[in-house]
Amino acid sequence: MSALAMKERPQVATAIEPLAFETRDLSKVFHIGRKWYAGGQPLRAVDGVSLSLRRGEVLAIVGESGCGKTTLSRMMLGLQPPSSGEIFVGGEPLTNVDRKVFARRVQPVFQDPYSSLNPRKTIGEIIRDPLLIHNIGTAKEQVAEVEAMMERVGLARRQIHSYPSQLSGGQRQRVAIARALIIKPEIIICDEPTSALDVSVQAQILNLLQSLREQMNLTYLFISHDLSVVEYMSDYVAVMYLGRIVEAGPTSEVMNAPRHPYTRALMKSILTPEPGLGLPDIHLGRGFPDPLNPPSGCRFHPRCIDAMDKCSSIVPRTLTDGEKIIECHLHDPEMAKA
Amino acid sequence: MSGLSSSSDAPVLVVDGMNVDIAVPAGALHAVSDVSFSVRPKETLCLVGESGCGKTITSLALMRLLPRTATLTARKIAFEGHDLAKISERAMARLRGYRIGMIFQDPMTSLNPVYTIGNQLEEVYLRHHRGASRKQARERAEYLLSRVGIINAGQRLGQFPHQLSGGLRQRMMIAMMLMCEPALIIADEPTTALDVTVQVQILQLLRGLQDEFNMAMILITHNLGVVARTADQVAVMYAGRVVEQGSAEDVFHNPAHPYTRGLLECMPKHGQAASMGRLGSIPGIVPSLVGNQRGCSFRNRCSLQMPTCHEGQIDLRPARGDHFYRCLLEPGATKPRPVSLGSAA
Ligand SMILES: Nc1ncnc2c1ncn2[C@@H]1O[C@H](COP(=O)(O)OP(=O)(O)OP(=O)(O)O)[C@@H](O)[C@H]1O
Ligand SMILES: Nc1ncnc2c1ncn2[C@@H]1O[C@H](COP(=O)(O)OP(=O)(O)O)[C@@H](O)[C@H]1O
Ligand code: SF4
Ligand code: SF4
Ligand SMILES: [Mg+2]
Ligand SMILES: [Mg+2]
Repeated sequence: MSALAMKERPQVATAIEPLAFETRDLSKVFHIGRKWYAGGQPLRAVDGVSLSLRRGEVLAIVGESGCGKTTLSRMMLGLQPPSSGEIFVGGEPLTNVDRKVFARRVQPVFQDPYSSLNPRKTIGEIIRDPLLIHNIGTAKEQVAEVEAMMERVGLARRQIHSYPSQLSGGQRQRVAIARALIIKPEIIICDEPTSALDVSVQAQILNLLQSLREQMNLTYLFISHDLSVVEYMSDYVAVMYLGRIVEAGPTSEVMNAPRHPYTRALMKSILTPEPGLGLPDIHLGRGFPDPLNPPSGCRFHPRCIDAMDKCSSIVPRTLTDGEKIIECHLHDPEMAKA
Repeated sequence: MSGLSSSSDAPVLVVDGMNVDIAVPAGALHAVSDVSFSVRPKETLCLVGESGCGKTITSLALMRLLPRTATLTARKIAFEGHDLAKISERAMARLRGYRIGMIFQDPMTSLNPVYTIGNQLEEVYLRHHRGASRKQARERAEYLLSRVGIINAGQRLGQFPHQLSGGLRQRMMIAMMLMCEPALIIADEPTTALDVTVQVQILQLLRGLQDEFNMAMILITHNLGVVARTADQVAVMYAGRVVEQGSAEDVFHNPAHPYTRGLLECMPKHGQAASMGRLGSIPGIVPSLVGNQRGCSFRNRCSLQMPTCHEGQIDLRPARGDHFYRCLLEPGATKPRPVSLGSAA
């Protein structure tokens, strides 16, 4: 039941071309404290997430710290095995895809441009590495390719011999993007690619990601906690709360008419640069939930201003309407009757 | 800036001509140059700018917590009858944490991981209130934890900092700051590491506490949204200098300096999708602050730069009323056209 609309989309799409990426009922459970076989406490970091990503689209995942965004992206990158559920790349199960083939199709760009680059390698070496690993081209061709890619992402050619420590945060993120793109992948998974950057540099990097996407027909999974960035970057958005997608749909629809009370609170939290408005009332309780003891019923109920009696006992169903998903009793006609 | 206001809203802090130089292998790094501002009770002054432009060094200078390699000079830094640029370290230690409270981006750096929250709160109180009992300290700690919105305050007192979420730790830092009676809060990126929802809640909390305890606040941030929604006064910093200064209304509605305008254009706006065009951006990066600077420090990134921008010193000059900016063009100019140098104020 949980992924109805998401399952319909592939069927429509497969007629033309397979989905770039898909997850079905994907979960990750960590066992905290003692070893799992000794009954460690389970933490459901990602809990039954079904998503799909069409070629050339940008799907954004948004949600607060600890809601499972990075865990989801690490599973999709094959860096962490799922506890259950499936991942498909280009219609094929991830488990059947050869590691190297996968890496040529899917590349990551991480949040922290400081720790994600090897400090002992030059910029040229870092960007060239994937070509060496995948044995693509002659040495001469590789160098030419590195230079072309540096130019494309806005790095000066003279920086080819620099080390990461000699670059600014924005330049390092350009290096990370160049390294990801050098083997011409189809899909880029960006985990908060600009949250460590200044707004001026963020704008440069977002513009770059958009241009590259158009030029290279790239598909992005774009993780962020900043809804204004998400609105600018994405075609679809999925809002995550405590491991689950609680609302999803075309970005403009979700942003213009958020339905889930949590999405609404996120929208109200955007601080636009308008003086005189003061701080918004976001209508949100302050109790941050303990992921080890998620609240009963709707996980959001302790912070929800619209919570009803049934919210603390009945888990909301996943409702789908075309491309939109919502998990909230307020939007469940059955519940309205009850 | 004006001496006309009544004594009840006289500034708590007046900074006049503050400079901080840091000795680095390549020479003197001018981290802060000629910075002046003042802040009144209940008022919030926001320092805003890109990373590396001198915001943190400004706040450390006010607290006299600069690295050893740094030199602080100022015409004056007046706070409650003291000149913070000149008083002894002992006198400063009596003000720090007592009359001037601090909040940092990462509360873990200022919390001691081996002591319980209760212990740390009580210590602050006992240090500044000779003769107070531990019981009094505990009562105040419990009151303040609940005042900053920590549920089950009594129970939390026995916990250690790492057992709290980021938002809770920041609330606890705020409670710790309030254990004494600061007249001035210096908050350096207090919400940068927090979720957007928690950010709003923490800023709301600070706003309410300012009114309740009559506190002035210097809020340092690189987030223009935070500035617009919290500031009474704004100082935009670039390369160690204030390049624009004024009320939040003036700075956001009529940005006078090309840098301020550039920053505002970089922000994605509601309703703006990438398909509708690119974001505005400021090319390039902040210049090195080492050595003597001539001309406008923003010139290598400014689309309006003119030959005159490379020479001499560019002073802060009035745009209108109490609104100042540091640029050779008319306020808010969109074309490079030098004003006659004779008319510069
Ligand atoms: N290796 C791990 N072992 C145990 N728990 C983990 C592990 N990795 C993540 N978690 C937990 O899983 C949950 C989701 O974490 P995740 O890092 O995916 O969140 P996130 O949404 O990326 O947060 P942020 O915005 O802070 O990056 C959290 O409660 C986290 O503490
Ligand atoms: N301990 C230090 N030694 C040398 N230079 C420093 C030190 N701390 C800061 N700086 C330099 O001083 C300038 C201002 O830094 P800072 O105040 O931290 O900026 P901001 O807080 O605005 O990001 C930068 O050029 C920075 O590199
Ligand atoms: S199900 Fe109830 S508690 Fe959950 S979001 Fe909807 S109204 Fe709020
Ligand atoms: S002084 Fe010149 S370079 Fe500096 S901001 Fe003004 S126009 Fe631009
Ligand atoms: Mg993460
Ligand atoms: Mg700083």
